[in-house]
Amino acid sequence: MKLTHLLTALALAFVTTEALAEKLVIKGSDTLGAKLVPQLAEQFKSQHPGTTFDIAAEGSTTGIAAIIDGTAQIGMSSRRAKPAEVGQASAKGVHMKPTIVAYDGIAVIVNSANSIKSLTKKQVEQIFTGEVTDWSAVGGSGGKISIYTRNTSSGTYSDFKELAMKKRDYAGGSQKMAGNEQIASEVGKNPNGVGYVGLAYTKAGGIKVIPIDGVLPSTQTVHAKTYPYARPTFYYTNGDPAGLAKQFLDFTISAAGQKIVQQVGFVPIP
Amino acid sequence: MLRNYFVLIAIGASLAAGSITARAQDAGALLDLLVKKKLITDQEAEEVRGELTRDAATTAAGKWKISAPVTEVELYGDMRVRYEGRQGTTAGVLPGTPGPDDTLKRSRERYRLRLGLRGTLADDWFFGMRFETSTNPRSTNVTFGDDAGPFGKTSDTLGVGQAYLGYSGFRDVRLTVGKMPNPLVTTLMVWDADINPEGMAEQWKHSYNFSFGGGTTTAAAETYGKDSKSTAAVVEAEPFKVKLDLFVNLAQFVYDDANPENPLGPRTVGGGKLVPNSDNWLLAWQVGARLNFPKNIYFQVAPVLYTYTGNGDSFNTFFVGGQQGLTNTASMATNQVGTNSLMVLEVPAEFGFKIGEIPVRIFGDFAVNLDADDRAIAAGHPEAQNERYAWQLGAGIGQLKTKGDMQLQAFWQHTEQYSLDPNLVDSDFFDSRVNIEGVVVQAGYALSDAVIFNLSYGYGRRSNRSLGTGGVGDIAINPLDKYQIFQADLNVKF
Repeated sequence: MKLTHLLTALALAFVTTEALAEKLVIKGSDTLGAKLVPQLAEQFKSQHPGTTFDIAAEGSTTGIAAIIDGTAQIGMSSRRAKPAEVGQASAKGVHMKPTIVAYDGIAVIVNSANSIKSLTKKQVEQIFTGEVTDWSAVGGSGGKISIYTRNTSSGTYSDFKELAMKKRDYAGGSQKMAGNEQIASEVGKNPNGVGYVGLAYTKAGGIKVIPIDGVLPSTQTVHAKTYPYARPTFYYTNGDPAGLAKQFLDFTISAAGQKIVQQVGFVPIP
Repeated sequence: MLRNYFVLIAIGASLAAGSITARAQDAGALLDLLVKKKLITDQEAEEVRGELTRDAATTAAGKWKISAPVTEVELYGDMRVRYEGRQGTTAGVLPGTPGPDDTLKRSRERYRLRLGLRGTLADDWFFGMRFETSTNPRSTNVTFGDDAGPFGKTSDTLGVGQAYLGYSGFRDVRLTVGKMPNPLVTTLMVWDADINPEGMAEQWKHSYNFSFGGGTTTAAAETYGKDSKSTAAVVEAEPFKVKLDLFVNLAQFVYDDANPENPLGPRTVGGGKLVPNSDNWLLAWQVGARLNFPKNIYFQVAPVLYTYTGNGDSFNTFFVGGQQGLTNTASMATNQVGTNSLMVLEVPAEFGFKIGEIPVRIFGDFAVNLDADDRAIAAGHPEAQNERYAWQLGAGIGQLKTKGDMQLQAFWQHTEQYSLDPNLVDSDFFDSRVNIEGVVVQAGYALSDAVIFNLSYGYGRRSNRSLGTGGVGDIAINPLDKYQIFQADLNVKF
């Protein structure tokens, strides 16, 4: 009997602890999840003691899938949900609700030693589709272009294809990286490298951001939509968010949250 | 906020007027514009976009996924049910069986189905494919009850009728390769409409616009009304405008593939001669012009020269085309398909105009085989070296575009034994034959925009009564002395 009482007490203690320490599961975009959301979570936790976060940043596709299959309360995404995903969600009774949490400009980066000063949209399309394979063809000083892209589960991968490549396929020899930081790192090491990263990742060493049609990504050009590769980023929820997910979403779009958005390098909601 | 609310209602209402697919596609640009004009926020736009995507994704159209490089795609096709009766009569004097003036009749109920997909791709490429019933190159018909059954499916198969791709990135030029719709301007006299030739085609077309006269001004007479004097209007004379379309169609069709090109051991011998070990190509060179005058008047002429490389392993023996004086079986057993000594010049032409709102066209075709003398000698008929001409002349009135439309058409056709390639000529109205002449009358009525009812009748008779009627048709008689066909069709197009 004593053993039974002890086990019951332990179980009650465990349940009570779980109830007190609410956990928010967030999955999805590496662009949002590598830097921004962890910092937002830290700040949020300081205001909501006992809250824990489980953040997995493995690409927007995984975030949207997590909302559809109910394994996360918030799905981070740097792209809009595709019609097929929305259809899949509807079939399961899931209502994909997007909330804009920040803006981003996908910056085209090259090695800082590259002589290229600017590119046109057409040249960017030619480079990333493999139509142009040498820097000399776009005004550079020569050398075989090495392309670094995100992997296929990335929202940035899809967005860049849509915004910059007329939905054409990437060049066959392009190398797929797991995250923005890896792309920045590889381009920083390779004098002939070219890639793209979110605005928050442009401060890495050894790289420079190239103006597109004379426009650099910035808060102003993203807000004004004059930068061609500007985009909103989202939290996806199943219908209107509730509970802890709502509190965190509200915090993200609050003045305090948007201040962090700006500090990390994203463009806040105007 | 109130203004935003009304804007969202307005978006919903305006988009609801279009199709669900169009709504999803058009929403992006419209929403972007509203955001740009600060009528709604980005977040509101996203919510509307999400709703529209959800609506579109749950419709049948929204579930189709088409790969990104496809810029336009069209699903099209037709289905037809037909009653057909055709009959042929043997020559008056024919030794052996069957007897003279014997008649062979064939009546049947048939259907055909053609289902196609064609479209354009990024960077000026295009493609097309079509699945068709029947394996016959000159027919897509399947006869009801003609296979193991009852109600068997042995003959109800779909074959690849068309499979082609092409490039149109050079100005005025269209390049096509594959099994394609016939790229040549021609008539049923020379080409059966069901044939989809295989090979390559290069097409060029350019339009020139000319204006004659006009530009002069004329002062109209002053007129007086009840209350005032009318100001004289200045009338400007309209120039006479002519549009000239020039076109060139070149084609290289693989007529017959030699297999193998290099056999083990010595080359095959047929009829005491070496069988060619290279392919037989049909080459076509066409130049044409279409003059478009005001008031829908036009004239088109498009001469085309056909030559054959003469090789391959199926059509390389001398054409005979039946023989007067043999038994029917022996006559039919003579070569009907050889493409030797064929250098055919064809000149199809058409003149069109309108009577009121009704289109009228007068059309014709003329063909001459410049090598007919050799073809006749090889067939054992040196006396028939002038049997080299074929012509067609006809007229049509009306059109079949929308419900209630009617069309009438009639033509006379004459083909001589050595004038044309009997493997290509129309398989219906003259039973795939040459050395036959006769009349065809057709009438059509559009029961709806997509359903058309047609009646057709053809009568033919042997042209030169000392020669056979070359070609392999449905009526197993050669020489085919007289021939009749009647068809009643119900067509559905989509």
